[in-house]
Amino acid sequence: MRRPNDIKKDTEEIETVEDLTSVFESLASTQVAKIKNKVLMSQEFFNLLWSKYTALRVDDDKRITGGGHQDNGRNVYVIISAEAGLSGDIDQRLIETVLRDYDPKTTDIVVLGSHGAQQLMQRGVGYIRYFRVPMTDSYVNVGPVIETIRPYRHVKVYYEEYISLGAQDIKTIDLIQQIQTMTKDAPDSAEVISTQETIFEPSLDEIADIMEEAMLTLAFAQAILESGLAQDASRFNAMAVAKKRAMELVSQYTLEYHRSKRAENDRRMREVMISLKRKERVRTDA
Amino acid sequence: MNQNQLLKVQARAPFEIYYQGDAYSVTATNKVGTFDILPGHADYFSIIDPNSEVIIGTEKEDINISASNGIVCVRDDEVLLFLNI
Repeated sequence: MRRPNDIKKDTEEIETVEDLTSVFESLASTQVAKIKNKVLMSQEFFNLLWSKYTALRVDDDKRITGGGHQDNGRNVYVIISAEAGLSGDIDQRLIETVLRDYDPKTTDIVVLGSHGAQQLMQRGVGYIRYFRVPMTDSYVNVGPVIETIRPYRHVKVYYEEYISLGAQDIKTIDLIQQIQTMTKDAPDSAEVISTQETIFEPSLDEIADIMEEAMLTLAFAQAILESGLAQDASRFNAMAVAKKRAMELVSQYTLEYHRSKRAENDRRMREVMISLKRKERVRTDA
Repeated sequence: MNQNQLLKVQARAPFEIYYQGDAYSVTATNKVGTFDILPGHADYFSIIDPNSEVIIGTEKEDINISASNGIVCVRDDEVLLFLNI
C-alpha cells in the first residue's frame, strides 16, 4: 500500500486538474452561447443583404452561380479544424471523413486550424495552404481563403456541425450550393431596384459583384463560426468527462488515503503493543 | 422635428448592429467624394470607400462608425448600411 503522504500529494494534483477542467468547461459553455448569437445575427445580415441583391435587376446568368472566374480544372477541399487541442476526437473524425473522399490526383487541400494541419501531417497527407482559424468572437476575415480557392472548379468545405451541446457531426458542403440553400431560407424580395429610378455609384454591376463577394464571404464565415461552435461544444464534453473522471479519482484517492492512514496507525499500534509485551516479558523473566 | 423629415437608418455589420432608428442625416464617402443623405433623397446605391467613416446624425448625437468597406442603400427614406463585410 502507498504511503498516505504520497496519496495526499496525488490527490492535490488531481484536484488541480479538476479545477482546471471546470474552468475550461465554463469557458467552452460561455463561448457556445456567444457564438450561437453571432450565427443568428450573421444570418439576419445575410437575409437583409440578399433581399437587396435579389431586388437588383442584374442578368441571372451573371449571378453567383455563373461565376465567370478562372478555372484551374482541379477540386479543392477546405478543412475547418480547431486551432487548439482539448476538443475531443472531433478533428480526428473530420480528417478521417476528408481522407475517405480525397484523391490527390484531382484534389488539393486547404486547411484551417493547426490541429487539422497536424493530423494531416501525421498521416503523411500534404496541403497547399494553411490558415490560422481566427478568433470566433470577432469578425472572421475569410478574404485570403476566398482568394486561394477562387481558381478551383469545385470547392468542398468540410467542417464540424453543431447539433446540440451533446452532439456534433461532420458536415460537407459545396460553397456555392450553401449560398443557394441560405438564400432559400431568406425571404424573397418583392421590390425591384433598377437603373431607371435608382442612382448607382459606381455602377449596378460593380455593386452586384461586391454583394456576391460579401455573400460568399458570409457563407464561408458562417461555416467557420459553426465549426467553432461544434469545437467548443466538443471541448465542453471532453472537459465534462475529464472533470467527472478527476472527481472519481479524488474520491478514490481519498478513500485510499484514509485506508493507508488507518493501516499506518494500526501498524504503529501493533509495534507499540509488541514493544510493551516484550518489556512486560523482560520484567516477568527478571 | 417632424417625423416625416427623418430617415429610418439601419447600420450593421455581420455580427454587430451599430445603429437602428431615426436619423436626420447620413454622411459617407465613395469614389466620387463625401456625400450626405437627407430625407427626400433619391433612391441610391453606392459602395462606401474602404477605411472611411460613416456619420449618422441623430437628434441626440452624431454617431461615427469606422467602415473598412460597405454598401449604402437608400429607398423611400430608408437607409441600409452594410458595413465591414
